[in-house]
Amino acid sequence: MEAQASSYSLLRPRPSGLLPFVLLSIVGHVLLTAGGLALSWVFAGPKVDLEQKPIKASLVRLGKKRDEKLLPRKEEPPPPPPPRAAEVPVPAPAPPDKAVKIPSKDAKPEKPVDAKKTLFDAFSKAGRQEELEGDPEGDPNGDSAVQEGERYFGLLKSVVQRNYDVSDTIPEAERRTLKAEVALYIGAGGELIDVKLSKPSGNDLFDSAVVGAVKKASPFAPPPPHLAESLKKQGVAIVFRATN
Amino acid sequence: MSRLLLAALCLPSVAVAQQTVIEINQANFRPMPLAIAAPMAQDDAAKKAAAEFDSALLYDFSACGLFQVLDRKGYLADPKEGVTAGSIAFNRWSDIGAESLVKTQLSADGDTVRADLRLFAVGAGREELKVSDSAPAGNVRRLAHKLANAVYRFYTRETGPFETRIAYSRKSAQGRDIYVADWDGKNAQRITNEGVNVLPALLPGGVAFTSYRQKKPFLFVSRGGGEPTLLLARGSMVTGAAFSPDGKKLAVSVSEGENAEIYVANADGSDAKKVTDTRFFLNTSPTWSPDSKKLAFVSNRAGTPQIYVMGADGSGVKRLTFQGNYNTTPAWSPRGDVIAFTARDERNAFDLFTINVETGKIVRLTQDAKNNEEPAFSPSGRLILFTSTRTGTRQLHVMTADGNNQVALPTDKGDFATPDWAE
Repeated sequence: MEAQASSYSLLRPRPSGLLPFVLLSIVGHVLLTAGGLALSWVFAGPKVDLEQKPIKASLVRLGKKRDEKLLPRKEEPPPPPPPRAAEVPVPAPAPPDKAVKIPSKDAKPEKPVDAKKTLFDAFSKAGRQEELEGDPEGDPNGDSAVQEGERYFGLLKSVVQRNYDVSDTIPEAERRTLKAEVALYIGAGGELIDVKLSKPSGNDLFDSAVVGAVKKASPFAPPPPHLAESLKKQGVAIVFRATN
Repeated sequence: MSRLLLAALCLPSVAVAQQTVIEINQANFRPMPLAIAAPMAQDDAAKKAAAEFDSALLYDFSACGLFQVLDRKGYLADPKEGVTAGSIAFNRWSDIGAESLVKTQLSADGDTVRADLRLFAVGAGREELKVSDSAPAGNVRRLAHKLANAVYRFYTRETGPFETRIAYSRKSAQGRDIYVADWDGKNAQRITNEGVNVLPALLPGGVAFTSYRQKKPFLFVSRGGGEPTLLLARGSMVTGAAFSPDGKKLAVSVSEGENAEIYVANADGSDAKKVTDTRFFLNTSPTWSPDSKKLAFVSNRAGTPQIYVMGADGSGVKRLTFQGNYNTTPAWSPRGDVIAFTARDERNAFDLFTINVETGKIVRLTQDAKNNEEPAFSPSGRLILFTSTRTGTRQLHVMTADGNNQVALPTDKGDFATPDWAE
């Protein structure tokens, strides 16, 4: 009885089968940790320079208008607007001809279609001109192409104007009369095919500046399809004046 | 109408017939990118003069505001490249952004240095101008100024500033002295060598200034660098001399008791007449309009120093400045449109401004560069000479009349004040 009791005692050492599993678990964890560290070292991102000075940013709000009795601050030229790619309008998906109504719980059943009346209505509509809605001075053929063209030429103007740098050495009295015209030819991809000084001003500096303005502004945005052919063959003329 | 025209041009059906026309007005005017090749010296004597000549030429083109002188470190052309259009690889110069190219050759004959300057249009690849001149070896800066002026005149059809004179007062051990120098501050000639001498005003062949040499500060004149003589003595102090552009008249401020009044006299100091009369107030710093018919001046009659304009006989006084509470040292542009002046702003910084005489619009020229004071226009009105403490001491600087391209004169350190500028 005593021997049986001592065999159940917790104080008595007895062989255990857990040891291999514990050891295996420790080895497994060590391997996993080492693997994780190795992977993080291999795929490490850029090194962080702890010596680099932090960039300080602060939020500011617009203040009130400067007191008119104070002397002005120096006028800083506004930064040039970032160049914008050509805005090619993406046509919005056309709405379905007829939306399908979802019948509600209280919806009344539709009246049965009178086939005879529908046929007469169709003949009647075909016989009269449908009244259009829109701008009474609008183009009956539609003006989306015109608007697109205006937009494109406006873009062309702004990008050339941005590069319209002329030397300060030109006398001010002469600036008032300087006028030159160039013809430029643009490919379907917006590339500059050619630029010609069609009407020189007579001032070499000004003439080279206007040709330079076009060259510096290129390549341009691709023209809309309906203008591509004309811009390639007829080109577009730009009249430059030195002053307003 | 234009919309209809554009519409017609844009439609494919009719576009074949006509070309669209775009109009662009108002160019962005900016300094011309200019490359200046190092001078090529033909012999040893010319080599000695080359550095001084080169330094003067570079300063002239850099400081005049019309050119953006390109840094030589970026030049791609062979330094031994020739000086004729046929021997120049213009693409190398256009690659660095140069629109014009200056090449010079120096040769010496005894004590005389000869310089040949050629100006090329880089885009067109051709020679635009060739000028030659010679000068004594000790005066190569003036030779450079002369050739630079030829280039300036070629472009602007105006006489350049490079052979003009400036005058200034400079602190000395005993007080202040008056100097007359080339436009770059070099070749400075000291006019006085005793006591306190301030407020120089250039006149043809001489300079007038206020001096304490006879105890009271009166107006003296030195002609041809000679001994100063008394020009005008009146009241307790005569300051702020300004000669009219037509050379006939002289305006000064005369202190009398508690007030200071503007007087207009003949250029030789005779027949001085009081043209302001504001008891207990100060009227100082007169400056002439280009047509010699009007004067701008400073007065504190409204409580603070402000700029006023009146006829040369004192008629039609009109207050010009209403912004700021301390506006002084007016200088009327030779072009007539604006008056430059010094003002103390709300941060207590002294800076330079211009005010349009017609519209009253004030434009700030200097900012956030210590104190900038005492403007003086170049004879053409394109440039302004002024003093600035931005480098630590009060030095002379030059900038364009719109406040761009602010450059220090290549003088040694010193305390410079109240500059004037004339032909």
